[in-house]
Amino acid sequence: MKKVTAFVATVFSLIVVFPIFYSISASFFTYTDFTSIPARLLPSRPTLENYYRAFKESNLEQFLANSLVTASLGTALRMVISILAAYTFSFFTFKGRDVLFVLIVATMLLPSDALLLANYSTIRSLRLTDTYVGIISTTLLAPTHIFMLRQYFKTVSSEYREAALIEGCSDVRFLTTLLIPISKAVVITLAIHSFSTIFNDYLWPLLVTNKESMRTVQVGLTMLGFSENLDYGPQFAAITLLITPILIAFIAMHKPIQTSVSTRFAGR
Amino acid sequence: MKKKPASLIKPYVLILPALALAVVFAYRPFILTLLNSLHTVSLQGQRLSFVGLENYQRLFANQSFQASLSNTLRFTLYFVPTNLIVCLGAALLSNRKGRLATLNQVFFFLPMAVGLSSSMMILKMMFNPSIGIINQLFNTDIQWFNDKRAAMALLVIAGVYLDIGLNFLLLQAALRNVPSELHEVATIEGANGFQVFRYLQAPLIAPTFVFVLMTNIKDAMLISSPVLILTEGGPFRSTQTLVYQMYLEGFKSGNYAMGSAIATVVFLLTFTVLLLLLHLERRRVYYQ
Amino acid sequence: MKRLIIHVVLVLLATQSLAALGQTETQRDAVTTITWWHSNSGLAGKAAETLVDDFNNTVGKEKNIQVQAVYQGKANDVLTKAKAIWQSSDTSDLPDLVQLDGSAVLDIRDNPNLIAMEDLAKADGYDLSQIMEAARLSITYKQEMIAMPFNSSTILLYYNKTAFDEVGITTPPRTLDDLAEVATKLKKTDDKGKVIRYGFANVPTTYELMVWLGQQNGLSYITDFENGHTGNPTKVLFHENGTMVNFLTKWKALYATGSLENLTSDLNGAFASGRVVMIVASTSNLTTIHSMVGDRFEVGVAPFPMVDEKATGGVNVGGGAIYALNNGSHNESAAWEFVKFATSAKQQYAWHIATGYFPVHRDTYTMPEFQAHLEANPHYGVAIKQLLDSNPKLQGLWVPSAYQIYYAFQSGILKMLTENKSPEQTSKELETEINSYFAEFQRMQQE
Repeated sequence: MKKVTAFVATVFSLIVVFPIFYSISASFFTYTDFTSIPARLLPSRPTLENYYRAFKESNLEQFLANSLVTASLGTALRMVISILAAYTFSFFTFKGRDVLFVLIVATMLLPSDALLLANYSTIRSLRLTDTYVGIISTTLLAPTHIFMLRQYFKTVSSEYREAALIEGCSDVRFLTTLLIPISKAVVITLAIHSFSTIFNDYLWPLLVTNKESMRTVQVGLTMLGFSENLDYGPQFAAITLLITPILIAFIAMHKPIQTSVSTRFAGR
Repeated sequence: MKKKPASLIKPYVLILPALALAVVFAYRPFILTLLNSLHTVSLQGQRLSFVGLENYQRLFANQSFQASLSNTLRFTLYFVPTNLIVCLGAALLSNRKGRLATLNQVFFFLPMAVGLSSSMMILKMMFNPSIGIINQLFNTDIQWFNDKRAAMALLVIAGVYLDIGLNFLLLQAALRNVPSELHEVATIEGANGFQVFRYLQAPLIAPTFVFVLMTNIKDAMLISSPVLILTEGGPFRSTQTLVYQMYLEGFKSGNYAMGSAIATVVFLLTFTVLLLLLHLERRRVYYQ
Repeated sequence: MKRLIIHVVLVLLATQSLAALGQTETQRDAVTTITWWHSNSGLAGKAAETLVDDFNNTVGKEKNIQVQAVYQGKANDVLTKAKAIWQSSDTSDLPDLVQLDGSAVLDIRDNPNLIAMEDLAKADGYDLSQIMEAARLSITYKQEMIAMPFNSSTILLYYNKTAFDEVGITTPPRTLDDLAEVATKLKKTDDKGKVIRYGFANVPTTYELMVWLGQQNGLSYITDFENGHTGNPTKVLFHENGTMVNFLTKWKALYATGSLENLTSDLNGAFASGRVVMIVASTSNLTTIHSMVGDRFEVGVAPFPMVDEKATGGVNVGGGAIYALNNGSHNESAAWEFVKFATSAKQQYAWHIATGYFPVHRDTYTMPEFQAHLEANPHYGVAIKQLLDSNPKLQGLWVPSAYQIYYAFQSGILKMLTENKSPEQTSKELETEINSYFAEFQRMQQE
């Protein structure tokens, strides 16, 4: 039984990984490899030309820079806002606390994709199109993060905070020296998740950026615009370049990622 | 202990950013959208005259909207169970010890590393009917982009691919939290794999499962980017979904009133479904 | 916490100042910078770059004008972006020039931000009759030329000559009846009866339908107000004037041969793989199709099939045009200089060679290099002859809700074929549906 499970799992997981393998292989295809019939799995004569073209024929570095900046900035701000809010909701008592909490978390049910039109006109009237702030603005509020962080913080005994207050410890110090280190696993997981969500966002950055110089890499990738001629080479090269560092990071960090996720849920 | 006035307002200050964001980017737009859907709106986005529910009447009579509604609901119906089975299956199958298991696990969450548009473009190439590798490998002739059912299937595959990374991680973590002693006891008592799952694992992973279920439903109702990149609503509008139509009407045709009406319908639908689920969860799920 | 905030603010400041730095560079020389948003990718993209560089290094240098070309995606995406800006109150972000295609016309033609190309030409004393009549008329609204045709194309029939030879067909089909006949001969099935080679594949798009309807009886209109060129269309005419029924009848007969495949995408791929023997596609696909087919078989081109012997209208000019927008910078005359350059005889020749789009300037056609080029590349000759033989009044369709109408046509025709409806019924239903879109549009205009 165990062997069967192992076999099925392996086959299954290979299927899941196949597209990644294919795109790496395809990044070395020549143009005729793409249009060949029957379709090829491996390049006929591997070439680096696609990589060269991906950089030369587009602003790939700029797109990448934009994505990195928005994702980092967005993640940082998001974490700050979420941690502050979760901290406040779990350790303070004040009037209207529960109502306000529900108000903030209820926005989970108002997904920003459905609010596109209205949010777009807000950003336009604030003159924030083609700005980093404009791109990350709609992602800064993460109700699920606030919810989960609060859940986690609540398991931390309030005695810690009382002790800290008596010692004259400010909120900031309490946060940075005590609470966050304890919640490291959760925070890291949420940060990774934020980063990848913002990095992967497509529709919103598409609408909010007009200047090529502000384009993020997800949008820029689809505009490498050769797909009508079935000239997919540069796109696949760009994709491979994009996913390689993240792939390596994921593979290297798979243990921490897996354990942090389980810790988060164990910490209820 | 006497509270200083400063410390009275402090909590409010600390949650102010979150609150402000919630108002500006969630509540206000929601109300504006609702308002817009009840008026006629000019091409410039100005609200003109109040028309009550007329936009909704016209919307529901609109063939294109009926198609979007049906497609979105059907997609949700196909996608959610498929996704759950795939992700749960992956989690269960790789819930073993050993290096091979670890390799399986890493492979399963690797798709998370590939971004949305990258995944879509890879799939678009792979599933090309004439020169794509899928038809070649499986020796089939499926017209992935020209046949209605194939295109919908492709969309489901795309959706699963996008979600499998995170869902797998969550479900796997939940499985790992099942105390192994209980697992051993059950096996010693003679329970087979299926019984272990049904009576031990399932109830214990239920909260996570429900969370995954809810987010999957929400994602399914709102699906738009894969439609944009892969199928563009085709063939023959068979993969046109609600949010995609909202994008077409609002951004392409400038029909803000209709776009807002669609958005409101999407909210109501998603909201209702999720509420129902929350209700079910409360009554049937076991919390540690 | 404070440190974090300071950190964040510093990062924001840094990035903003970097961006500002980039801009001050260009402003130093008091050069007029013109932004041009375009949708040219691949080969056309390279050609556009060459064009812009040529301008910047010649006329641009003389007159202190520099053009900055920005690729904004497909034509539709360019429109979405431009629209997003002109619908708000602040239009300073608009580009000076924007390349759009037919789908944009409805949004832009009555737009207060549009500067009609004809006005710019007049201000410069430029004789507009130098532009090919068909191209010029295709972009005329209420008798005024609102933009400059730029990447003009028409439509052709591409066929697999090797397959034709195999089956003994010597001349490409002229009418839809011929097409049905030829397609039947080309059909191949496997031993299980499944079709493995289709004679023809197509589900008519709005553009193709427009030609098939418009060419009937020498010239026929699809909607009132001359297909939207003299005002907003209020109703379709294709049902009352019988052109739709005529077309649908022929189309149904074509489908009855079993050799028509209802493909809506990847037509080039199906053609190149040999699975489909004939397709209709834009002239701008010529180079792409040749490179996709490689040496698998010989490619032939022929004029777009006529609906019947009386459908002599020919084809119309499609493709895109360059529009001038008012963004408050008063750069119109500089923008016009570029447009003039881009559509000059010599540049249009180079543009044609690189992309396959039609030269829009009359004088290109009499250039000796051009004649030689046509002789060496008879495929281009076919396309051009077809255009010159067409009725220049055959103008494109300028209608609202283009997307919806496109789907209406496609679904309607598909239903007719798969559910065996009658051409009359289908035509009537299309009339009702499309008229409702027009009515919806009128409602949005009322204010």
